[in-house]
Amino acid sequence: MTPGLSPTAVEDHTGRRRWLLAMPVAVLAMLPALTLFEAGERWVNTSTLFSLTQMLMLVTLASNWNFISGLTGYVDFGHAAFFGLGAYATGILMTKAGWPFFATLGVGAAVAAVAAVLVGRATMHLKGPYFSIAMLGTFAAMREIVRVWRPLTGGGPGMTLPPYLNRPLFYYLALAQAVLIAMLYQWLRRSQFGAMMVGIRENEPGAEMRGINTLAVKLSAFAFAAASTGLVGSMWAYQNTFIDPDIVFSDARTIEMALASVLGGLGTIAGPIVGSAILYWLRDFLWAGFLRSHLVLEGLILIAVVLAMPRGIMGLIGNRSAIDPRRLFARRTRR
Amino acid sequence: MSTRFGINRSTAPLLVAEGLVKRYGGLTALAGVDLAIRAGELVGLVGPNGSGKTTLFDCLTGMTVLDEGRVSYEGADITRARPHRIGRLGIARTFQRIRVYEAMTTLDNVMLSRAWSDNELPGVLGRPSGETTERATELLALLGIAEQRNELAGSLSWGQQRLLELAMVLMPDPELILLDEATSGVNPGLIHVIKERIHSLNREDRKTILMIEHNVEVIADLCERVIVLDHGVKIADGPVDAVFRDPTVVEAYLGREEIVE
Repeated sequence: MTPGLSPTAVEDHTGRRRWLLAMPVAVLAMLPALTLFEAGERWVNTSTLFSLTQMLMLVTLASNWNFISGLTGYVDFGHAAFFGLGAYATGILMTKAGWPFFATLGVGAAVAAVAAVLVGRATMHLKGPYFSIAMLGTFAAMREIVRVWRPLTGGGPGMTLPPYLNRPLFYYLALAQAVLIAMLYQWLRRSQFGAMMVGIRENEPGAEMRGINTLAVKLSAFAFAAASTGLVGSMWAYQNTFIDPDIVFSDARTIEMALASVLGGLGTIAGPIVGSAILYWLRDFLWAGFLRSHLVLEGLILIAVVLAMPRGIMGLIGNRSAIDPRRLFARRTRR
Repeated sequence: MSTRFGINRSTAPLLVAEGLVKRYGGLTALAGVDLAIRAGELVGLVGPNGSGKTTLFDCLTGMTVLDEGRVSYEGADITRARPHRIGRLGIARTFQRIRVYEAMTTLDNVMLSRAWSDNELPGVLGRPSGETTERATELLALLGIAEQRNELAGSLSWGQQRLLELAMVLMPDPELILLDEATSGVNPGLIHVIKERIHSLNREDRKTILMIEHNVEVIADLCERVIVLDHGVKIADGPVDAVFRDPTVVEAYLGREEIVE
C-alpha cells in the first residue's frame, strides 16, 4: 500500500482541508465590518460587497451544477431554469400576493425541486448528450412560458419587486448558503449516497443491476441541486429588484456554472468553489481592462485552460475525483 | 461443513423462464426460450455469436424488457421487475463488457456493490460500515487483487477488472450468479484462477451459477449441464458430454464457420 494513501493520512489530509475552508470563510464573514470605518472603506465598500455577493452566488450555482452534472454525470445544460423558477416564485409572491421576502424563499426552492422531479422523470432515462439537449429544450420552453403567461408573470416587460437595498444582508445570505452547500455536498460526496451518484456516472446499468435504485438516487440529487439553485434565484430576484424572462432565464448563467466547475475540477467539491472565484475575478479584470474584447479574451483563455488541464485545477493538484468532462459524452455516444 | 463433492441439492427450480421472446425490430433475438435452473447447479450457456445468450441474461435480470414470456425466481414473478429489485432478491451478474466504476478505487467498487435493501435512506447518507469495508477487503484478497485496493478501477488490467467484477458480484452474497464470459480476454494464467474460484463458489459456497462461456474447455471442466442457444432457440439442454456430441449442436457451430468463409 502506498504510504500516502493509508487511512490515517487521509484523515490528516481532511483535517488540513477543514482549515483551508474555515480560514477564507472567517475572512469573508468579517469583511463587511470594514465598510463601517472610513479607513476600511477604501478597501471594501458596498460595491465590493455587491461583487462578492455575485461571486458567492456563482459558487453556490456552480456547486449545484457540479453536484448533478459532475457527480451523477447527467450534464444539465438547462440548469438556469431552476434559477428562473425560484426568481419568479419570489417575484410573483411578493408583488401579487404581498408575501414577505423570507417566506418566499422556501416556495422558490420547493417549486424548483418539484419541477426537477417532474422534468427528471421524463428526461433522466436519456443518456449523455440526449439528456443535456432535453434540458436545454426544457429551459427554453420555460422561458417562453413565462413570457407568454403575462397575467401571472408580467410577460416580456417583466416585473419590479419592492426595492430593498441592504447589501450586507444579501452578502451574508449568499455567504451562508455557499458555505452550507459546500459542507453538505462534501458530506454527501463522502457518504454512500455520494458513492451511488458516482456509480451512476461511471456505469449506470451496472449500478442498477447491483441493487441501487438509480432512478430514486438521481431524481433526489437533481431535486436537491434544483432546490438550492431555486433559492439563489429567489435571492437574486429580490436583490436585483427587477426580473424579466431574458435576464432570469439566461443561458449564459448555465454556461457560467459549467465553466466554473470545469475550471476548478468537475466531480470534486472544491472545484466549483475555486473555479467560481477565479472565473468571477478573471471576468472582472478583463471587463475593466479590455472593454471591447473582454468576451473574446475570456473565451480564448477558457478554451486554452480546458484543453491544457481538462481535469481543472483540482485535477492538476492531484485530486483523483476530478474528471475530464469529455469522458461524460465520449463513453455514452460510443456503442 | 463444506461438502466438496457432496450432492445434497434441492431439486426445486430456483429460476424458471418460460417462452421468452425478444425482438429487435425485424430481428428475433429470443424465439421462445424455456429454462429452469435448480438451486446448487452450475450450468453452462453456450452458442455461436449472436445466438441470444447475453440477451437472455438481460431479460432474466430486467435489463431488457421481454416481448413475451415469464420469468420467476423462487416462485415469485420477476418478469417486469426493475434490475435493482432483481438484484436485491439475490441475483447477481457480471457483464460481457466489463461494468466496473472506472473512476472509483477498487475497494470502493466492491463496497458500493454491497447488498442494498429498501427504505435505507438515513443509513445511506452515512459512511459505509466497518463491516462493509472489512468484507470488501476480504473479497479483494480472496481474488488476489488486494494490493490494488486503492488504485482506480480503470487503471487495472482487463483480467484484474474481471476479477474485480467477480468480487463485486460476491459482495452482496447472492444466491444465483450469472456470469457473462468471465474468462474472455483474460490471460491463460488468470483463466485458471477464475476457474478455480467459480468451482469453489459452486461446490463450497453452494452458489447457483449460470455461465455464458465461449471456451468449451472451461465448460467441460466446470459444468455438469450445458444449454445451447442458436438463433434465439434452445437447441440442446443436458449433460455436457451428451450435448457436445449432439449433431444439431455440432452443426450450429459449423454453420458459424460457413458464414466466416
